[in-house]
Parts: sequence; C-alpha cells; structure tokens
Amino acid sequence: MSGAFLARRGAVIFDDLRAIQLRYGFLPKAELEGLSQRTQTPLYQIHSVASFYPHFHLVPPAKAEIRVCADMSCHLNGACELRADLERRFATSRPDDVQIRDVSCLGRCDHAPAVSINDQIFTGVAAEHAEQLACRAIRGEDFHEPHPKQARIECKADPYGNGATLDERYGVVRKLVQSRAFDDVLSQLKAAELRGMGGAGFPTSLKWDLVRKESDPVKYVVCNADESEPGTIKDRFIMTHLPHLLVEGMIIAGVVTGARRGILYIRHEYHLQEEVLGEEIRRCYRAGLLGKSILGTPLGFDLEVFVSPGGYICGEETALIEAIEGHRAEPRNKPPFPVQAGLWQKPTVLNNVETFINVPQILARGVDWFAAQGAGGSRGLKFVGVSGHVARPGIFEVPMGTSMREVILSRAGGIRGGRQLKAFAPSGPSSGYLPASMIDVCLDFKALAEAGSMLGSGAIVVCDDTTCMLDMALNAVRFYRNESCGKCVPCRVGSQKMTDMLVRWTQGGVPEPQYRADLALLEELSQAMSLTSICGLGQIVPAPIQSVLKHFRAEIDAHVLKGQCTSGICFTPASRAGEAQRVGIRP
Amino acid sequence: MTTAATPPGFVDITLDGQLVRVPAGTSVFDAARMNGVNIPTLCHLQSQTPVGVCRLCVVDTGARVLSASCVRPVEPGMKVVTDSEKVLSARKTLLELMMSDHPSPCARQQNSGDCELETLAKAAGASQPRFAKRTIARGKDDSSLAIAVDHDACILCDRCIRGCDEVKNNFVLGRMGKGYSAGIAFDLNSPMGDSTCISCGECMVSCPTGALTNKSVVGTAIAAGPDAQGFEAEDLLQISVFKGVSGTFLELNRGAIVKRRFRKGDIICREGEFGSTAFYILEGKAKVSISTPIAHVKTQGGAKGLFKRLTSTLVPREEDKREEETRDRTIPIDASVDLSYGNPVAELGPGDLFGEMTCMNFYPRSATVIAESDVVAFEMLRNVLDIMLKNKSFRAQLDQTYRRRALENHLRGVPMFADLSPDFIEHLKESVELQRFAPGQAIAQQGEPADSFYLVRIGFVKISENYPGGEMVLAYLSRGDYFGEIGLLGGGVRTATCTALDHVELVRISGDDFRQMIERFPSVRKGLEAVAAERHAANQQRMQMVQNVPIEQFLSQGLMEAQSLLILDLQNCTRCDACVNACADAHDGITRLVRDGLRFDQYLVATSCRQCRDPLCMVGCPVGSIRRRNSLEVIIEDWCIGCGLCAQNCPYGNINLHPFEVMIEDPARAGRKKAAIKQKATSCDLCTHLKEPSCVYACPHDAAHRVDPKTFFAEMLGQGIAK
Repeated sequence: MSGAFLARRGAVIFDDLRAIQLRYGFLPKAELEGLSQRTQTPLYQIHSVASFYPHFHLVPPAKAEIRVCADMSCHLNGACELRADLERRFATSRPDDVQIRDVSCLGRCDHAPAVSINDQIFTGVAAEHAEQLACRAIRGEDFHEPHPKQARIECKADPYGNGATLDERYGVVRKLVQSRAFDDVLSQLKAAELRGMGGAGFPTSLKWDLVRKESDPVKYVVCNADESEPGTIKDRFIMTHLPHLLVEGMIIAGVVTGARRGILYIRHEYHLQEEVLGEEIRRCYRAGLLGKSILGTPLGFDLEVFVSPGGYICGEETALIEAIEGHRAEPRNKPPFPVQAGLWQKPTVLNNVETFINVPQILARGVDWFAAQGAGGSRGLKFVGVSGHVARPGIFEVPMGTSMREVILSRAGGIRGGRQLKAFAPSGPSSGYLPASMIDVCLDFKALAEAGSMLGSGAIVVCDDTTCMLDMALNAVRFYRNESCGKCVPCRVGSQKMTDMLVRWTQGGVPEPQYRADLALLEELSQAMSLTSICGLGQIVPAPIQSVLKHFRAEIDAHVLKGQCTSGICFTPASRAGEAQRVGIRP
Repeated sequence: MTTAATPPGFVDITLDGQLVRVPAGTSVFDAARMNGVNIPTLCHLQSQTPVGVCRLCVVDTGARVLSASCVRPVEPGMKVVTDSEKVLSARKTLLELMMSDHPSPCARQQNSGDCELETLAKAAGASQPRFAKRTIARGKDDSSLAIAVDHDACILCDRCIRGCDEVKNNFVLGRMGKGYSAGIAFDLNSPMGDSTCISCGECMVSCPTGALTNKSVVGTAIAAGPDAQGFEAEDLLQISVFKGVSGTFLELNRGAIVKRRFRKGDIICREGEFGSTAFYILEGKAKVSISTPIAHVKTQGGAKGLFKRLTSTLVPREEDKREEETRDRTIPIDASVDLSYGNPVAELGPGDLFGEMTCMNFYPRSATVIAESDVVAFEMLRNVLDIMLKNKSFRAQLDQTYRRRALENHLRGVPMFADLSPDFIEHLKESVELQRFAPGQAIAQQGEPADSFYLVRIGFVKISENYPGGEMVLAYLSRGDYFGEIGLLGGGVRTATCTALDHVELVRISGDDFRQMIERFPSVRKGLEAVAAERHAANQQRMQMVQNVPIEQFLSQGLMEAQSLLILDLQNCTRCDACVNACADAHDGITRLVRDGLRFDQYLVATSCRQCRDPLCMVGCPVGSIRRRNSLEVIIEDWCIGCGLCAQNCPYGNINLHPFEVMIEDPARAGRKKAAIKQKATSCDLCTHLKEPSCVYACPHDAAHRVDPKTFFAEMLGQGIAK
C-alpha cells in the first residue's frame, strides 16, 4: 500500500483497485464505475491500468488460482511436469474451482519449482502438496504457511557487523549530516568506480552528480527493488539481511543530491522483505535518521515503500516511474532521462538495491578497502544468485572478478547428480547462454562483455547436459513475449513472431530451405528489435536465441532439421502436449 | 566548411550530410520535414502529441540504437542519417511485422485505398510478410451505428486515443491489456455502441488503417434507399466538380456517394438530426428554413405530472424581446447562405453545397431543407467530401459561392464594420483569402507577429491564453465570429493562441487590407479599439485572478470556471425549497435549479447554470444560438432547434430540454400539417427580466446568494487562513 505522500500525490489508483479486489475478490464493473465518478478518472484510464497488471482480476477468479512459475530455473527443475501433473489431478474440477496457469518468475529460483496459490507463494513443492493446498483453498480453509524465521546472515559487505545496534549503524549518515562533505562523497564513489548493479552498469557518481546539479528544488530518490529477471534473487537476500545498508544508501543519495523524498519500489511477491524494510524504516524514523530533520540538522529525507502492481517491465526505470505515477508501466522515450525528468518530471536518482548498499560500504571503509575486495583487478563485492542444475542453489557474496568456475563448481556445489555442465547464463535470459568451455570467464563488467554476454544482475542459471538449448532459448523468448508491455511495435509483435518461429523449430522436421530462410529472417528481426525497441526489454529479446545459435549451432541444426533432441527431452508425447498448451497466447 | 555562429534559439545539425539550421526544440522529424526530407510514420500526426510507438520514423543519430525522430529533439551538432541501409532495413522489418497481422486489404484499403500501413508496406516491398500470421483473431465490434471497429487491423498507434483525449476531450478510448494481446478498448472494454462514445468520428479520421472506419462506407448504407442511384466512376468524372479527382478513388468510394432524386416537397434533411453526409445540388431548387418556431419557452402553470412537460408553449419573440438586438442578426447555418432573423428561409440551387459541418464534424443538422422543385443532388460521406474539398476547381467554385452569398453578411455581422462603404465590402469580397485548418492545428500562437484578421466561416476556434498554471480558454468562436484585431491594433504581437477545434475554415483579411480599412474608416478604428481595450482589460483581470487566488483547489471542481454561482448558506437554509419554487414560478412552471450540489464549508453550490468562463456548451451549436451576452451570462437564443448538443456538452448537467408540440408540414400529405414534438433548451438566465434572480429574492432566510466565485472564494480562504 502506498504511504501518505504517494496518497497525497494522487497515485492511489492501485490502492483503490487493491481495496476493491480485497473486498470482492475481483474488480466488479459497478465498483470501477463508482471509482471513476469518485476520483473523476475516465473509465478507460481505470481499465487500461487494471487490465495491464496481471495482479488485478477483471472477472471473478477461481477459488484456487494455481500459478506455476515457468521461467528458467523452475523450467530446469520440472515446472512443466509439475504443471502437467496438477492438470491431471484437477482434470475433472470445475473451472470456477480451479484454474492452473503459468506465471512469470516469482523470484524463488533457489527453491524451484515455485508455485503461487491465490497469490501465496510455495517453493520446492511436489504436485501432491500443491494439490492439498489447492483443495484447502477450494474448501475456503486457511492454507497459509508461516514465513520460516530467518536469522540474519553475516555478510562481509556490512561495515557495522551482524550484532550491531541501531546506534552503531548508520555511521556514514551520522557523520555526513554534520560534515556536509557531499562533494567528497561523489569523489569517493568516483574513485571507487562504483557502477550500477541493476544491469546497465552506469557510473553511480556521474548519475548522482547530474541530479545534484539540477536546479529544481524538488527531486526524488527511487530504489529499484523490482528484480524480476528470471534467476535474479540477490536483492531479496540483501533486503532480508542488510536492510539498514539499503536505507542508509538511500538517505546518503538524498542528502548528497538534495532530494528530500525517497521511494523504495519493491515487487509484490516479496512480502517478507516488505515487512523487514517497513520495520527498518519505522525504526529510523524513531531514531531521527529519517524525517524532516535528520538528527536535528536542516537536512531531511522521507522514505516510503511502494509495492509494485507487478510485471517484469516495471524493472525498466521509466516504466517503474510510470507505475508509481499510477499509469500503465510503459517505458518512456528517452531522452529526457530520469536524472533530468523522472518521477513527476522531477530530477530523480534511480538505482538498484545493490548499488545503494555499496555506497555506505565505500564511505565507511574507504576506496582502498573497496578496491581490495575484488579479485583480478575488479573492485568490490558482488551478490550472485545461482540456480538451475546446481547442488547448492542460493545467494553468495563473492569478490567481484571471481571466476564462474569458482562460483558454480565450488560455492554452489557443482552440478547436481554428478552430471556434466553444459551451459550457463551469467545473468538470466538477457545475458544469453555461454557454453561450459567458457567457465573460466570472470564476474566482471568488461570480461563478460568481451565474452558477448553481460554481468547484468548476477543471476547465474546453470544447465547440465540433459538440457535442450533450443528449448531454453524458446523459454526465454516466451518470457519476454509474456512480459512485453506492448507499447512499441518491434517488441510487441516481434517477440510473438520470434516465439512462433522457435515453436516451429522445436517441433523439428523443418525443410532445409525453410530453415535457411528462417535464419535470415531471424537475423533481420533481431536487428530491427535491437535497434528500434523503446527499452531494454525489446532490445534484448534476440539475445538468448542468438547466443544459442552461436555456441550450440550443430545441436540446433539437428533439432530443427532432423527432429533430434540431443537431450532427449523433446519429441516425447508428454512434452508435445505440454508444449501445445504453453504456446497459447492470452486472449 | 565554415558557418556563421548559430543565432540564439536555433540549432545546427547535419541531416543526411547537409548542414541545416532549425529552431531549438524542434523534433528531428520536423527538422527533416522542414528541409524536404519526408520520414515515414504511422503513429505521428502533426496535431497530436508525439508518442513514438510505431518506431517507423527511426533515424540513425550515431547512438547504439536508432532514435524515433518524432520524439527526439534536435541537439547541437547532431548528425542524423534518415536513409541508410540500416535504417531502411529496420523500417522494412517493422512494416513486415505489422503486415503479418494485418487483414490485407483492410476496410480502409478496400474503401478508399488509403490504408497508411498498406501504402507504406507496398512502397517498402513488405506487402508479403514472411512472419507467421496471427492465429487468434482479435475480433470486430459492430455495435456502433457510425463506426466499424476491426481490432485485427489495429496497429496500436494510439492516434485514435489521442484524438479522443487531446483533440475532442471525450476520454472514451484507451489501451487495454498488455503485450501481444494489448488492444484498444472503450470505457471498461464495453462494445463501442454501449460505451460513452458520442460518435464524434475523431478516432475514425485519426486511424491510419481499417481498424476504425466509417460504417456507412463499409456497409454502403447511403447507397440504399428508393431514390438512390449509384454510378460508375467514369460518369462522375464527366461532371465538372469531379474533374481532377482520382478515378481509382471514386471507384473505391462508389458506396460513399450517391445521386438522389427528390420530388417537390420532399424533405432532404431535418434540423436537429444527426447525420454524416453533405449534399451537393445538381439540378432544381430547395428551400432551407428553420421550422422550430423562433420563440421563448413558456409553460402553463398548474399542470403537474406526466402532462406537465407537454404543456410547454411558446411566446412570440415580439412580446419578450431581448436587449442587444438593435442590428439585424443573421442565423448562421450549415450552407453557403445564412438565414435572416426575421424570416429564416433561403433558397439553394445548383452548385450549392450544404451539410458540410454535419459531414466533416458530425454536428446536428442546422436547418431543414425541402425540395421546392424536383431536385437532383449528390449525397456524400466525409471521405468523399474531404477529397472534393481538396480538389482545386471544386474548391474555387465553393469559395466563389461563399464570397457571393454569405461573406457580406459575415463582414456586416462584425458590429464595427457596419460603416464600411459598399465599394470597400466589394473590394474585400475579392481580396480576402479562404483558409482551412485541421482539428488541433494552431492558427496563431501567442507571442507570434500578428499579420491578419480572421472571420470564422466553418467550425469552432478556441481562443486561449497561456498562464504559468496552464491554459485558460477565453472563447470559442463559431461561424460569423472574428478574431485577430487586438494583435493588429496593439503591439503587432498575438496576445492569445487560436486553435482549430475541429474542421475549420476561415476568411483571412490581410494586414494590409486591414490597415487600409481602418485608415479609410475612422469609425471602424474607433469601434475596434474600444472592443480591443475591453478585451484587454478583461484579460488583465483574469490574469490577476489566476495570480491571486490558489485556483488549483477550485479548478478541479469547475467552480472557478464559473462567472456566477448560486450558493446557499446552509447555516441559514431551512431546506424550504422556496428558491426552487421561485425559479419555477419565474420560468412558468419549470425550475432551472436543483437544491443539491457540491459543498464547501457551510455553503452548497446549487445546480444551476454557472455562466462558465470556458462555456463548453457553446461548442458545436449548429446554429450558434447559445452565446454569451455582453453582461456575461450565457443565454440560449430563440432560434434554438433543440438538437440537445449543449445539454450533452454541459459538464454540470445544467441545461434542460423542454419538449412542446407544434404543427409541421406533413411529408406524407403535401400541403397538410401534422402535430410533432419539438424541443428547446433552457438554462438559468439569472432572471435578467427581473431586478434580481428570483431564487435569491425568494429566500426568506437570506441563505441564497449569487456570487462571483473569485471574490467569494478569496474571502472564504482569507477567513480560513485568519482562523
């Protein structure tokens, strides 16, 4: 729910819609008409927003809405089979009792497969357990399971140590509001070469400096905690275990750039983290670290949490801003960039969770300490999520510059079940797939870019030798197709046409001249999408299939032309049945 | 190459290797257009805010990705390439993507051959898409009587949405859903015919494809009917007015134009009815008149219940003459003639076009046309008329008719021009220029040099000023109104922005002619100066108001729009309804006031005409009978034809329609009369025939007041702060 400030700005449409949905279970037409009259909002505006976010139901939902996560890590861990199993179990159920559908990555990649039943998330579930939960939902019984109590994990990144009290924490902010050495902060961040950790890697000091120089008296700091890229789970970990560093990083951004208001944009599947952060923020207000006057100084900073109405596209910075403003999360044309005209057209610092937590680390311990944390010339620490076919999936804090070999084979316990590594994605579908032979590539902006991939958000997804790479490429493209906002032609239409083509390919037996023509057309389509899409989503859609064609060409050729799946998972009757259902588009 | 330093306010860029200079803030798209380079686009229209969603206008600016030129402002030193292989290939792929889901040929392509997507795709060699076709149809919506919707032909360019929002402010259309399943939707995804859509047609004319098309063209509804006669394109081309029109176009639009034969006494069109066609008379004579009596609405007191409404009667205007009517007024109608007030009848003959406003802007018919002899006429839909109006010879003929028959009336209608000598009027009739503007197009911008004086011939012109807090509408001008004199008389700079609200045609008097006129006729100058000073003072006052009062709070309620509010002090009010009864008494049994409305503090703002500053009710009146008097109240003149558009347009529901019975000529039996129900609109007239509004006078508790919201709210706020 939005806080007082957002409510005053009128960005409460989501609160209104959620309130109606909470009461009726969906959004009845009469209620929306009432809302339109009360708020003087045209009907179409309410509908265009409500129909954009899958979180809102425009028709009454089934008593048990079962959503099986379909993306990368869950796909690698039997999500297809789980869904097919559940469909068999509920084959005779009435449609208003049970509805089973795919859902995009729920951010539980380390405990795949994940299932959501009436928006309650369950991880690592077997079909039988999911069936029992759904049956309880149908009977109207409470089926919630309590959050497992998690002890805070000691992180090297925390300059205050795990047992520190509130008085010991926030040391950087305490000093900074007295010294007001804001230029010094920027020069330290510059010397540390801190770059954005959300994927794009834009220099943080430069971004903050641009906002600081804007003359507008109203500015904002926004934290992007909407990680939704399949495989990305590191921000979830950071917000659970280091919430004070995130809040401190945002306060520093506020006082340095002159922004007096911060908004923490969190994905709606992170209930626990929302609670943890809410508690941390309240604690800071009580301690005078947040508010109109920080520790009695004229500097002020207010911070509130905004819960995303949902969707991968909301992680795109301007789409995220549009969502806060209560609109459809459609990315804006740039320029202007958020540093000039962001939230409500005001200069806005927009950074990822991990970027913010790096700031107090650097300022508390110095640039030299930060530089020394990295390996092989890289700087700082990096949180990575490792999921897929590994023995110990999870989030690991590693030095920047660590090799993938170390991360995958050592920290994550190597490949599960004694199988061989076939491929890995350094950062979800967007980074494309690299073959096992490139395992020595390091976690570093430059090294991964040179390998034709990217550091991205550190969402390492690992595939063993039973994986069909064409199937994985199709899985990725389908994810983008599902998550495209539909604003611009190349992404909206292109992602569907690319899906259509790959679906045809996975079925095998494509005549050679057709395949050749398809390859040429795919190249043209990839170019057009990368060059003309408004935002990064549309531009990156071709990456997975292009990387697979580059590194696994012989396998793809055999699959498409001869109908041979080297992994032996395609071309079975069961997979075909599952496939046909997954190709369908939402009406 | 050396160039002079760039003057301030300008930017130098390299466009396809050429150094060009354009004003700062220009989009790359416009910069290219100004320099003769046409970049293809589907989602961009000059009269709408650019959105950059079709991506067809991409150009190479040397960045990692291409830029949509419609949303990309020029930057100093920018190097733009609009036609490289990279750019052309990306555009071709985009067209191929859209074509793969396009039901080719779509309705627009079939009817008029001008589907923009198909035309561009053909030019780029992308007519045969290699991508898989859409497997699940998005469907058609046939529920609207006027417009056919084919969702499969929709490319989500957002032009209809912006047309509905920005141009017409109807707020009905939006995007729905997400990704590949996104589409356009009306209201809460209602069928178009069940939605709040008023069938203005703006979406249809904005649509580049066959997604939104004129239904009559699709179904060729006008080709039906007993007297209709379709014909071959070749026959049409024999007729002089079609000389120069493309034969292919006429062939494709065969269903959109018919020849009709009317017998003597036939009614060709009726006032107040909605329509979508224009008529062009080939042979015969027709009588154009207003059959709704010109009179005030009165009702007999005492009658109650169901019958009450039908007992409204009319009082001849002689008994209730209004002020300000010293000169002979003319009633502007939708034809090449105007009707005189005393005798609202005129004759139309061969070569006359009527119904242009109805056809182009979908306003109700302004008058009734009856065949006086056997009449042969073309009846045509908007797309045919639009093409004909672009045809030079037809255009010239129409302009000549207008100059001959209506221009003098319009010139004489400007009060200050009354003293012009006949020879000067003759001179003007020949020297004026006739200009056309598309909806949303700016006619003059505030701050621009002023060089001409305009008379409105067709359509509505919005006059607005920019304030720090936004735009304020000063007036809506319609046929017979004029503007541009303040700039010419004053500092030579436009003091307001003038924008075409719909399809607008203007008579332009050049600065030279204007100056010559005021030199020759000192009385004209004096009159104009007086009006200009008056308007200037009013503008100053408005400016003051905007600066002094925190209007944000009230603008949202529309109250600051008001000139005069009826407020009830709830501390004194006993809910006795004496005000409502007094209003009913003063207006012969029909109250124009309801004791309900918005509350502020202890005050209730009653539902009655607020005499708005931006009187939306005036937009669209086909006969110009709703207007503002010099004393500022909004009145409905006696020649109201009861079409109801003003009642629809009033955002506060304060205009009512009253039905009454009249005798009209029976079309079935020539020469006989029959009873028919006609309507007239009424709104609060502030009881100008009395000393004080009777609701205020009647209140026994001193609770009812008529106030100027500016001073009232300023006082109330002042008190609030003092507390």
